[in-house]
Amino acid sequence: MKEDLIICRCEEVSLREITEAIAGGAVTSRQVKLATRAGMGFCQGRTCRHFVEQLTGDEPGAEPLGSMAYKPPVRPTSFGRLAGEGQE
Amino acid sequence: MTGRSVDLAVIGGGPAGISAATVAARHGLKVLVLDEHPQPGGRLLGQLHEMPGHGWWRGAEIARTMLDEARAAGVEIVSGAAVYGLRPQWEVLVQGTPFETVTAPRLLIATGAAEKSVPIPGWTTPGTMTAGGAQVMVNVHRVKPGKKALMVGVNVLTLTIARELALAGVEVAGIVLPPLGPFSAESANPTKIIAAMSRMAGLAPSPLLRLAGSVFGPSSAGLGAALYPSWGVKVWGLPMYLRTACVEIRGQDEVTGVVLEQIGPDGTPTGRRRTLEVDLVCISDGLYPLAELASAAGCAFAQVPELGGRVPLYGSDMRTTAPGVFVAGNVAGIEGAQVAAAQGQVAGYGIVADAGRIAGSDPAILAARTALAEVRRSSPIQFHPRLADGLTTLARAWEAQVQAQAEALGGRPV
Amino acid sequence: MSGRVTDHPILGRAPERNLVSFIFNGQTVQGYEGEPIAAALLALGIRVLRRSEVNGEARGLYCGIGHCFECRVVVNGEPNLRSCLTPVRASIVVESAVTPPGDWNGGEPA
Repeated sequence: MKEDLIICRCEEVSLREITEAIAGGAVTSRQVKLATRAGMGFCQGRTCRHFVEQLTGDEPGAEPLGSMAYKPPVRPTSFGRLAGEGQE
Repeated sequence: MTGRSVDLAVIGGGPAGISAATVAARHGLKVLVLDEHPQPGGRLLGQLHEMPGHGWWRGAEIARTMLDEARAAGVEIVSGAAVYGLRPQWEVLVQGTPFETVTAPRLLIATGAAEKSVPIPGWTTPGTMTAGGAQVMVNVHRVKPGKKALMVGVNVLTLTIARELALAGVEVAGIVLPPLGPFSAESANPTKIIAAMSRMAGLAPSPLLRLAGSVFGPSSAGLGAALYPSWGVKVWGLPMYLRTACVEIRGQDEVTGVVLEQIGPDGTPTGRRRTLEVDLVCISDGLYPLAELASAAGCAFAQVPELGGRVPLYGSDMRTTAPGVFVAGNVAGIEGAQVAAAQGQVAGYGIVADAGRIAGSDPAILAARTALAEVRRSSPIQFHPRLADGLTTLARAWEAQVQAQAEALGGRPV
Repeated sequence: MSGRVTDHPILGRAPERNLVSFIFNGQTVQGYEGEPIAAALLALGIRVLRRSEVNGEARGLYCGIGHCFECRVVVNGEPNLRSCLTPVRASIVVESAVTPPGDWNGGEPA
């Protein structure tokens, strides 16, 4: 399989970057995420999460610690909205 | 910040959410359905199934009837509403709507499923889509996603959608496998695919599964993948190549073709490659429950491969371990739209009983559960041959969880 | 609009809808009011919706149901809208997205 294959479409993270992160000591999908940004983009891992888990051998969709955690927001939103912009 | 307050907030306006909302509204609850799409109905809108002896089952018609019933019952449905978070018991954070929060003592999470894929070199090139995305374009929006399509992945979704593309006038050049690699252990192996599809064949009275029977088994299953001809077999007149994988998608700005490789019975590449001109590649590796919000709500989960992966634990009334939070539809396990609607009914009665609008002994509750079991038996589409095992696993995990919670509280097991 | 499925053997004729004009990357195009922007563009054979901010490669519609954000565009100045969900309205101005990866709040380490 080509090493420059895109795994995380949102953050444009390649298979090479992920395999290098794993070779460099990343064990869990969460560690891969923090090292490469895979799964941290717009879709929050909806597309690539399974791929990263297959590469690390993590249980699919597992959480909490040691894996990708689901945290609000589950959808991109603006900083202003999170900060309560427009609140009375 | 503007907020709404209701008795029940339903997240997801597909068959599960809408049917639960209708039951709840008919029992006097103030119900608000939040749906992210321009029109409600969920993926039901794009579905078409040929029912034995009954002609075509058109999801869009079913959806229209369900939505009419919901509105007549007093359900308010808001489209374009993207839920991006939850605060406990319960404040729903939403955007795309005139209001920014919805507070409700009870929530139904009916967010459906997302599609799994297999990454293939070139798969970011426009003209590469999920099979489900192609279905929505062609059946809901009535736009052809391409002129000539290659389907990658041999499963219930790709077979169904290949046929739907052909019905709409898209040429289907073939249905092939994804390349063998770390992302496709099962789905790139012809022998395993034949075994899975032939197990499905005997399960339900659907044309798809009967078709699977004629192509995959029982006699053909015994033959094994080695004997499948490299020139393919026909499924609904569409060529399926079980000994071919799509190893590359080509094209600069748009898909112009693919590289196909002949593979062995276990998916091993042979090195024999050829190119094929297509302008559309649809990849699918099945569906998984889209349960992010159930995670955010703190629901307990179990890993149940037969239900598509990690699913929230739920009881017989569809309540989860999070107080006031119910689930229904594909978020609770991958099944067809009819099952989702029937499960929505069960959740609806669970919610109205929880709200004290009917007694826990009300016969309607049992009737809804019986109806769900019946719909499961007769469903025209099934995604996993060992679904029943998965449901049993989940029911046991729920019981164990309830008992553990009761013991933690010092009480007797419920 | 050759990309339209006007007559369907099972679903019948497509419903009558209101054709309106809008702008995509400076070009005036037409689509049906209320349909997703991505569907209108696809019907016209426009499949490149934006370019990768990293390497300039073309990107387009992928999941079609709002999950993947690959089809994100700017509509009337509002960035990162999913063209598979955002409806066509008369005279809207649609531009290819420009937001680089990581440049939104959810990209912060959780």
